[in-house]
Amino acid sequence: MKKLLALLIFVLMLTFLAACGSEDTSSNDGNTNDEDTKENSGEDNGEWTPSESIEIVAPAGAGGGWDTTARMSAQVLTEESMIDQDMGVVNKEGAGGAIGWAYMAEQEGSNHNLFVSSSPILLVPLNGQSEYGHEDFTPIANVIADYGAFAVAKDAKWDNLNELFEDMKEDPQSVTIVGTSAPGSMDHIQFVRFAKAAGVDITKIKYVSAPDAGGVTQVLNGSADVFSTGVAEVAEQVRADKLKVLAVTSEERLDGEVLSTFPTAKEQGIDETFVNWRGFFGPKDMDPAAVKYYENKYKELSDSEAFADVRSNYGWNEMYMGSEEYKQFLDEEKENLQSILEELGLLK
Amino acid sequence: MGAIEGILTGFEVAFSWEGILFVLLGVFVGTFIGMLPGLGPISAIAIMIPITYGMDPTLALVMMAGVYYGAVFGGSTSSILLNAPGISGTVASSFDGYPMAQQGKAGKALAIAAISSFAGGTISVVLLMIFAPMLASVAISFGPPAYFALMLLGLTAIASLSEGSTIKALISAVVGFMVATIGIDPQTGTGRFTFGSMNLLDGIDFLVIALGLFAIAEVCYLVMNRHKSSAGSGKEIGSLKLSKEDAKEMSGPVGRQSLLGFILGILPGAGATIASFISYIAEKRIAKKPEEFGKGSVKGLAAPEASNNAATSGAFVPLLSLGIPGSGTTAVMLGAFLVLGLQPGPMLMGDHPEVFWGIIASMYIGNIFLLVLNLPLIPYIARILTIPRPLLISLVLMFSLIGVYAISFSVFDLYLLLAFGVIGFLMRMFAFPAPPFILAFILGGMMEQSLRQSMTISNGSISIMFENNISLVLIILSVLSFAFPIAKSIWSKKKAS
Amino acid sequence: MVQRVNRKIGLILTLLSIGYLYMSYQLPTYLYIPLDADAVPKTLGWVLLVLSIALIFSKDSDSEEQKAKRQIPKTDVKALLGVGALLLIYIILFETLGFIIMTVLFVYFCSWFLGYKNHSVNAFVSIVFPVALYSIFVFMLQIKLPQGILPF
Repeated sequence: MKKLLALLIFVLMLTFLAACGSEDTSSNDGNTNDEDTKENSGEDNGEWTPSESIEIVAPAGAGGGWDTTARMSAQVLTEESMIDQDMGVVNKEGAGGAIGWAYMAEQEGSNHNLFVSSSPILLVPLNGQSEYGHEDFTPIANVIADYGAFAVAKDAKWDNLNELFEDMKEDPQSVTIVGTSAPGSMDHIQFVRFAKAAGVDITKIKYVSAPDAGGVTQVLNGSADVFSTGVAEVAEQVRADKLKVLAVTSEERLDGEVLSTFPTAKEQGIDETFVNWRGFFGPKDMDPAAVKYYENKYKELSDSEAFADVRSNYGWNEMYMGSEEYKQFLDEEKENLQSILEELGLLK
Repeated sequence: MGAIEGILTGFEVAFSWEGILFVLLGVFVGTFIGMLPGLGPISAIAIMIPITYGMDPTLALVMMAGVYYGAVFGGSTSSILLNAPGISGTVASSFDGYPMAQQGKAGKALAIAAISSFAGGTISVVLLMIFAPMLASVAISFGPPAYFALMLLGLTAIASLSEGSTIKALISAVVGFMVATIGIDPQTGTGRFTFGSMNLLDGIDFLVIALGLFAIAEVCYLVMNRHKSSAGSGKEIGSLKLSKEDAKEMSGPVGRQSLLGFILGILPGAGATIASFISYIAEKRIAKKPEEFGKGSVKGLAAPEASNNAATSGAFVPLLSLGIPGSGTTAVMLGAFLVLGLQPGPMLMGDHPEVFWGIIASMYIGNIFLLVLNLPLIPYIARILTIPRPLLISLVLMFSLIGVYAISFSVFDLYLLLAFGVIGFLMRMFAFPAPPFILAFILGGMMEQSLRQSMTISNGSISIMFENNISLVLIILSVLSFAFPIAKSIWSKKKAS
Repeated sequence: MVQRVNRKIGLILTLLSIGYLYMSYQLPTYLYIPLDADAVPKTLGWVLLVLSIALIFSKDSDSEEQKAKRQIPKTDVKALLGVGALLLIYIILFETLGFIIMTVLFVYFCSWFLGYKNHSVNAFVSIVFPVALYSIFVFMLQIKLPQGILPF
């Protein structure tokens, strides 16, 4: 009997609390609306400023590229007093970003929720693994660019991209490409783009996905032939004379003692580039004044010396795009990727 | 700068008062993080990264390394006392640690874990120091076929991991393997068995399964025995005393498994979890009384504990000497190197000997600190078991829930935890052993991927498995490991008749 | 009796393996991949099917102890279901009401439900542990837990 009593009280208290809870949230909503109207009236003066702490979602686990970008930029923005409100990073990990994007889709209309993303926000929806793509959010600003690299073992028979592609044109099955992520994602697609530009039959490319740094291991021990990855991942291996880079995916040669020795694909006559951009987004229907505010702040961040240090430590490149330009860039990029995935039979 | 000089610089850094302070801080946070189920070294280190920005890189890294091996050290506590593994590397420690604690020897179990961890940690640091530069080639010597063969070797031990019905053990393992196939398949990018749910695309986290099958299922039994006096009623509970026999019994497994754990730790992708399982199996295989395993065997606890700590040091070989992160935690540490303005890679040892050797040297101190911090606390920690059953049950449930939530911050995982708890309870009720399930889950996923990587590379020819010496040897061992128990049982039957 | 238990479990597992096999055969396949995403699942499904059928016909090797484990007294069944229900409620309301409120209530009522009678100690434990854990996560480690309806 007593036990039943314990159960009963538990349930009763919860229903009570839940009722309070829903009231509370609704009154909260009221508050936010009030603030919004205030903000709107402020907007007449042309200014919008955040009225509460800002949440930045990294749609991945702690420690990855998105997480680092979110944390380091929040750190610089608050430390250099560019933004006075607190900026908290929240990890919404899972499904290659889709969990985080679904969460952001629920924040529609909020002016205090941002998130960081890169190419997967185009690729994952195309692979049929996310309901939401960049169209469902408000692009605010791009801040960073990474470039891809194609590396082979030091003693590999190819010395440039054309030699590799010549062999692949003859027999695509004779070469194994290794990358960290699954087919249809970045490592795979960046290689396919260049192979396609060179005239290789891209449907026959042999691609192996190897997580946990398996890619560099497999190229070093000869299991796989070409490592398709980011420039930063291979620079040290090249410096130590273990790998050589056949090409980087940037338009022009990169800066840096080692990096500047890597030839671009363009200078080898293959007219193709690939940039792994990374930037910030807001939820759908974000107040245009707020977008303007964040756009300016990220511009400030991008131009700051403190962030330049961060960039150079991580080997990131500067690539600022404002909201409008960013959106247009994303639309074009998505179309491009769509046609490649279609050809590969990976489009869902 | 010569190697000796480098080592000396390293020790100088590690033994400076700042060095000692940061090691202490690191291992303290690490132990603590390890004890809390769910919260692992990855998140702890990731959170530290922005904080350490601008710090002296060696000190920051020494601290982060301390968090890493400290967590593996501390993770065994909750495995032993509550059957709720603190981190995935200490799941195997609960196989014998928990029964031992239930027999009223919690203090002894914790002491064995601490000493084995210390020994495993220290032995492997010595190996790390002497062989790190040479071992770099070991780290990259395993191609996909070799990984496949290694996982195969681990899986052949399934029958030996359980007593009772072999069919049931095999069913357990097959279902565990099936659970491992849930999620996006890395080789094709297809979602498998996700039932259209986004939450399953990444597969199911190992800790959700481990906490469900072990902690929650155990809670069900505690609920049924809630009126019995708790395991803590014995006088021995807090006693750390190890008899001479215990010490003798420990020394063999600790020595062997430190070495094995270290080697497995070096291999990218294997890591502390797989090392602890393989060491447990290996020790059971060669034990004179394998029937004692799973019932509170000293060897069964010492082996995984020595191994997981040794594997942790091993994981630093590819990271420090090649710049290759072989696990989630070392990948985050690699990020930390970058923030601090260092380039981890083959050149690190030459460019920054003070960092390279400083981290290694600090591990000696770190391991001593861990032992000194943990041993005196054991009598107090062991008293957790004297908490009245009903309260203990609630607290174990609370820790498991928060632990699982902290993995990915999704309520979906909490439902999964509950589901695996029910499965674990039913499995016990109908005598399906849980260890084969867990083992097949953790090895199976990697085995499938390396098999398919190999097949892609070889254009579908199976001969790739036998072209490489390592994989050839491992496959022969697998065959022997599989055939030996069968031959043995046939032989003993013949002898009996 | 004994055989019947194995037969029942065997049948359930057979159904499970058939379901799994059905799903494996639905998986898409790709050209030019020697061992596709469906190869291992199909193998596993067939192996489980064979093992399940073997189990149906196998003799039970359970010890007496094992059999005794299956006899759960009615009061225990009630206790288990009760804890299960508490857990379910906890999970359902976790994000709405927040970590602190739910955990405090859960620990308190779960202990009470299981027969812990010292209410003052219970109240103390059930408040101190969740609050301490929450503070560690949120303030020390800066990991957000659901705050629910509380302002902090």
